Amino acid sequence: MLKDITLGQYFPIDSPLHKMDPRTKILALILLITAIFIAGNPAGYALVTLFTVLVIVLSRVPVKLYFKGLKPIWFVIIFTAALNMFLTPGTKIQIGDYTTPVTWEGLLLAGKMALRLVLLIMASSALTYTTSPIVLTDGIEKLLKPLSKLGVPTYELAMMMSIAIRFIPTLIEETDKIMKAQKARGADFDSGSVFKRVKAMAPMLVPLFISAFRRADELAVAMESRCYQGGSTRTRLNEICFRKTDVFAALSCLAFLAALIIIKIYL
Amino acid sequence: MAIKINNLHYIYMQGSPFEKHALNDINLTIEDGEFIGIIGHTGSGKSTLIQHLNGLLMPASGSILVDDIDITQKGADLKKLRQKVGLVFQYPEHQLFEETVYKDIAYGPKNMHLSTEEIDERVKEAMNYVGLSEKYMNRSPFELSGGQKRRVAIAGVLAMRPDVLILDEPAAGLDPAGREEILTQIRALYLARKMTVIFVSHSMEDVARVAGRIIVMNRGQVALDGKPGEVFSHAEELRSMGLDVPQITQLITLLREKGVPIDSRIYTIERAKASLLMLLKQSQNQEDSLC
Repeated sequence: MLKDITLGQYFPIDSPLHKMDPRTKILALILLITAIFIAGNPAGYALVTLFTVLVIVLSRVPVKLYFKGLKPIWFVIIFTAALNMFLTPGTKIQIGDYTTPVTWEGLLLAGKMALRLVLLIMASSALTYTTSPIVLTDGIEKLLKPLSKLGVPTYELAMMMSIAIRFIPTLIEETDKIMKAQKARGADFDSGSVFKRVKAMAPMLVPLFISAFRRADELAVAMESRCYQGGSTRTRLNEICFRKTDVFAALSCLAFLAALIIIKIYL
Repeated sequence: MAIKINNLHYIYMQGSPFEKHALNDINLTIEDGEFIGIIGHTGSGKSTLIQHLNGLLMPASGSILVDDIDITQKGADLKKLRQKVGLVFQYPEHQLFEETVYKDIAYGPKNMHLSTEEIDERVKEAMNYVGLSEKYMNRSPFELSGGQKRRVAIAGVLAMRPDVLILDEPAAGLDPAGREEILTQIRALYLARKMTVIFVSHSMEDVARVAGRIIVMNRGQVALDGKPGEVFSHAEELRSMGLDVPQITQLITLLREKGVPIDSRIYTIERAKASLLMLLKQSQNQEDSLC
């Protein structure tokens, strides 16, 4: 049950998007998100939707998974849409003689908001589905590198992030194992009052913390015994590099943004 | 407590790209009072299989009957089942959490809502079974040695007085002396409590020494099932599964190839020693008579 929580939800297949440099993907996502908010008229929305669909197709990840990613925020989408429908001032919709409390303006705004939210989530999912967490942090580190000139410890931050991400599945596995072991001794994690349930967590949390500290200690020793120093002089096994695909992707993104701005101004 | 497994299938991470058919059509009957050794290569499905026996994992299809009650049905009393089928995980010392050894062992019985006297009796009994003297009772389990911690953890399961005891690699990571001790204690426990014991290991030597029946798992299926002698006669098959017959059996096979007339179904050092001594005596007698 705990294994259902997928972090980073990386989907390991081969696609043009998977091969791209994480930096390009991160920047493209930022651009796409900006575009989603720039788009004001129907033509603009159509273009943004088209672009997102294109990205989804290129990722070769099953479309089903993108909709699955929307699951946790369906409620937010419906809730904001409902609020917009009822609370936006304007002409009320008439059905025969009956005046509904919904306004045309509200309906339009609700549709726009819902579309924006859906596109936002899908575009971000396209990044996390096609980029493994480790590569993603590498990309973030490289992008933040200029900040190190200002004294921001970007390298250390990235290392911390990579380690944290690396250990999440391990800790989930560990939690699962400990929970099972305590269940085998008659532990009951899912019934009883709130107070009882919190109390029932101790047999799980204590061993989990102990093992987390043990792992941290082991990792530190393992790193030090391999002369880990950190810092900018360190080279890496898999160097991320900017390829032709990236140039092409970057150019298409810019063209897309230009087209959107032209639509916004002239239509 | 007879356990019957019919057409059991288990699929790991079903519906994701990491999907794996971990158990494939398992059919087994485990009789009351058996001492079973389950062996298999890493990833052969042995740990997955034992977690089904006390309802920690639910199969994708198939049924598991414990005392004629299907535990895969909805509404099965899993808490009661887990007291009857005690499961000791791999590296069980990682699950210790209480301030004292006593409290930790009492965790299982406490969850059974027993009286304080009953709990006290069971804790002392369990400590006695695993060879922990009472002076450890009020120590913190975290200041004990690795082997002692493991014994505390095993006692924690024994204190529930299960009818079936399942141990997943109970000797893993212990030094030879600790290994020896744990195995001897499990064997003694089996004889004293008359419980069914299922013992998971990848060490042929350990399994050969203690188990009366061996189940060999390979790629999520039961590859071999029978008495140690029967199983070890399939040396080639075992090798193809990344396993091997015990070293002493290999030595016996080599001796037989050299023409030594020794029984081929020997898989413990004790029996090998006895047989070899007997052979030596016989040949000596023959030499004597020749003179």
